[in-house]
Amino acid sequence: MTAQKLEKLQEQVKKLDSISTAPVILQPLLEILRMPAEKISFDKVVELVSYDGAIAAQCLRMANSPLFGCREVETVRAAVMALGLQRVRSMLFGLCINRVIPKDKWVFEPVAFWRHSLGCALVTQRMAQRIGYAEPEKAYLGGLLHDLGILVNSLLCTKDFRKCLQSATEQRRALHLCEEEILGFTHCESGKMLAEHWGLPRDLSDVAYGHHNVELLPAPQPLVCLVHLGDLLCRVRYLGYGYDEIMGMELGGELAWQTLAKTHPALADMDLARFTMDIDGAMEQIVATVDAVFGTAQSAASK
Amino acid sequence: MSAGRQEPHAGKQGPAKDTTMAIEAAKAMPTAIPEPVSSDPAYLKIRDLIYRMSGIYQPEEKLYLLVSRSARRMSVVGAKTASEYLEHLTLRGNRDAELRLLLNEITIGETYMFRSPPHLEALRNVILPQIVQAKSAMGFKRLRFWNAGCSTGEEPYTLAMFLLEESEKLLAGWSFDILATDLNDNSLEAAKAGIYGEYALRNTSELLRRKYFKVHDEKRLQVTDQLKSQIRFDRVNLSDDSKMVFLKGMDVIFCCNVLIYFDLASKRRVVQHFYSNLLPNGYLFLGHAESLFQVDDTFRLVHFPGATAYCKALAGAAGGGKK
Ligand SMILES: C[S@@+](CC[C@H](N)C(=O)[O-])C[C@H]1O[C@@H](n2cnc3c(N)ncnc32)[C@H](O)[C@@H]1O
Ligand SMILES: [Fe+2]
Ligand SMILES: [Fe+2]
Repeated sequence: MTAQKLEKLQEQVKKLDSISTAPVILQPLLEILRMPAEKISFDKVVELVSYDGAIAAQCLRMANSPLFGCREVETVRAAVMALGLQRVRSMLFGLCINRVIPKDKWVFEPVAFWRHSLGCALVTQRMAQRIGYAEPEKAYLGGLLHDLGILVNSLLCTKDFRKCLQSATEQRRALHLCEEEILGFTHCESGKMLAEHWGLPRDLSDVAYGHHNVELLPAPQPLVCLVHLGDLLCRVRYLGYGYDEIMGMELGGELAWQTLAKTHPALADMDLARFTMDIDGAMEQIVATVDAVFGTAQSAASK
Repeated sequence: MSAGRQEPHAGKQGPAKDTTMAIEAAKAMPTAIPEPVSSDPAYLKIRDLIYRMSGIYQPEEKLYLLVSRSARRMSVVGAKTASEYLEHLTLRGNRDAELRLLLNEITIGETYMFRSPPHLEALRNVILPQIVQAKSAMGFKRLRFWNAGCSTGEEPYTLAMFLLEESEKLLAGWSFDILATDLNDNSLEAAKAGIYGEYALRNTSELLRRKYFKVHDEKRLQVTDQLKSQIRFDRVNLSDDSKMVFLKGMDVIFCCNVLIYFDLASKRRVVQHFYSNLLPNGYLFLGHAESLFQVDDTFRLVHFPGATAYCKALAGAAGGGKK
């Protein structure tokens, strides 16, 4: 990849806000994403959700859906309570992004993208919990945001990025390898730029940058390693990017695995086969949750 | 090939097609998402017991399957609650027999052709290209497969059809043999006869039916002699060490839903035999719900889309392809 290309991209990312009409709630939402989970005020989230009619309606619908046991939730406050901070945060983020990116610029099926992002968030979080990682909430967020660069590429290089996806689909290869060839850079680089531009914490921009290749970071942190593994697991469990990749991988042989095992010895004793079956079990729910939020969210967002 | 009636709940480790179907279904009616019916924690204990004893695992979201399988046994032994039944499985004198009966319910012999497309996809996309490349370099042109615990033959015939279909593509110029073994003489007889009804053929395309089957009677088809000739059937008890040591030189071994009946020590022995019978970089496939955790740590667990397998390889050398 050439330095100029990256520089140009950097310029464009900086101007992103002016190109697309960012929803009003984007800035306050980013503030919430920047904060550690325990510092987030419940009232603030309720306020944010209430601010936007379509989003508020979506939260209510979700809280009343069979997925959450068909409770009788009538207020936004109760809905946020029922859904939990984590879910509301991801919904806000997703609905917000769905507005930032106009329909014709989505290179991915939005639903496929969100299935992958939410799937990765859940799998990464579960794995974090399994091995005693101190901040499972953070792991969730890392999984949710790791592919930010895909949004950047969709928005800024729509046509060429479409070629990348097409070529990756045809060759059944990993997307970032095709990006490398066609764009000269990957969503890892553009994701990092957006994460920095948005002022997200350093560990999250590291995730965006290193999630396919932890070697890119001088000292890969556990969070990046976790997301790397979560992303791979999603891709071998039909929660990838909406096309059938050819894959065969030994997770234990991954550098990310070995690095993580140094700080989290529980990883070595983890029953990975069983963990994978747990993911299989959870998959239907992940898919259903995403579709409940984003399947219908499209219409809510585009109105 | 995972335990019987799990499969219809697609999406599990089902083929991509099934997943799409599950996704479609989930889209169409989110109401269909099963609530965790089994709030009784005793079921989790039963699940863990089964996992410990047999290596078969049911994730929490699929516990309702275990609940329905246990129900039949519970009514036979007269247990009213899961905890009561757990007692039958742990405390009573005939607990081993009861566990076996429950396992029979869980793995109920509903084997059918093309039950596990992700296994075949893994073979086609990753494993065979790898083996073909390595063996070509050494001037070999022959592959060996072993189906251990082949039951009534659906599994080995599926493999044979798959390999024949590939022999014009990936395997052009290659020959292969398939050894299919079981302990049960009746099953082996049925396998050799190769007569199957609609149930066994439900996943077999019209094209393959026409190519590899002939009409037997109005309800059933029989495999052609050509297909039959691809497979050598033999009676092998996997616990018979004297026989196991002679089954060398395998590229891929399938042993689905068989080891679940073995205790830990014999399981270890069988798996060690598999390991030494495989060629370097060979693969072992187990049933979908099975795992070798704490049974063996010489094999490497490899993930494929919708499937996992165990590879005889050096650390970090299993799998393949850039991620
Ligand atoms: C549940 S069936 C599995 C059939 C098929 N592989 C599948 O997954 O659908 C288990 C098979 O293992 C065989 N089996 C059990 N113990 C065995 C042993 N010690 N040696 C060889 N086969 C055995 C049984 O006869 C039976 O056919
Ligand atoms: Fe990525
Ligand atoms: Fe990803």
